[in-house]
Amino acid sequence: MSSFLLPLAQITEHAVETVAAHGEAPSALTQITENFSISVPFIVAQVVSFSIVAFVLWHFAFKPVLATLDERQLKIAGGLKYAEEMKAKLEAAQQQTAAQLKTAQLEASKIIDEARKTAKDLADREAAAATERANGLITKAQQAIQLEHQKMLADARVEIARLVIATTERVLAKKLTDADRASYNETATRELTSV
Amino acid sequence: MAAVPAKIRVYAKKLVQLSLSGGGVSAEQVAAVLLHLEKNPPARLPLILQTYHKLIAVELAKSEARVEHAGPVAADALAAIASSLGKRYSRTVTTVTKSNPALLAGLRVRIGDDVYESSVSSQLAALASAS
Repeated sequence: MSSFLLPLAQITEHAVETVAAHGEAPSALTQITENFSISVPFIVAQVVSFSIVAFVLWHFAFKPVLATLDERQLKIAGGLKYAEEMKAKLEAAQQQTAAQLKTAQLEASKIIDEARKTAKDLADREAAAATERANGLITKAQQAIQLEHQKMLADARVEIARLVIATTERVLAKKLTDADRASYNETATRELTSV
Repeated sequence: MAAVPAKIRVYAKKLVQLSLSGGGVSAEQVAAVLLHLEKNPPARLPLILQTYHKLIAVELAKSEARVEHAGPVAADALAAIASSLGKRYSRTVTTVTKSNPALLAGLRVRIGDDVYESSVSSQLAALASAS
């Protein structure tokens, strides 16, 4: 403001000096200054005092206020930055949570698939074991039947042989004559003495 | 029956050895042994005599072939059997015959604990056991 008033005062002072130097009748400007009691020293003093007041106000009022405003501005900027950081962190956390959720879903799906596979394998093994047991039982039953059949055949063979021999003994006991027995005894004698 | 003590069995066996003559039991030797025992009775004489009697019976059985037969058997066949067994056991063997129709035909000779058989019934039994 002092820079604005100082040229005005200089112009006014120059005009007064010019009028005085030429000795002419006071002009309109001179009349205005006289009518309004405008005094150059007074104006200069006003400008000086105003400058002093402005300096004091600037140094002790505006500057702390501006410093406070700057500090507040910094705090606000810091808060905004913190908010943006928090927002970014929140987004990152949300993304991380989403990723973890997706991973958990994948793991859960994998576990479910493995459980299904394990259950299927277990069922297959149980079925195979049951089939094997059934085959074993069938084989044992077949073997038992075969053994029973063989035993029956052997018993029948023994019984038939016994019957044949008994019949033969009866027939021989009736049919052999003393001559036959004597002839056989001679043969037996030769056999026993040759041993 | 209680077991015969080893000392008495050994003593009886020695008496039996004294009773043998020519690979068989001699009546004279047996009489001499009995006379000796009568004159010099050892301890536990009854048990010794029982054991001696059993061993003499066994020796006699070794010298006696019991021939079981079905049908007639010629005398020369019995003599051949006695001769063959005498050579085999190195003693005089006598034969005793006994009819056994269960043999159907053939002979069964028993001497001591040994049995020799060649008969129709034994062959049928072998056939039955083989089937």
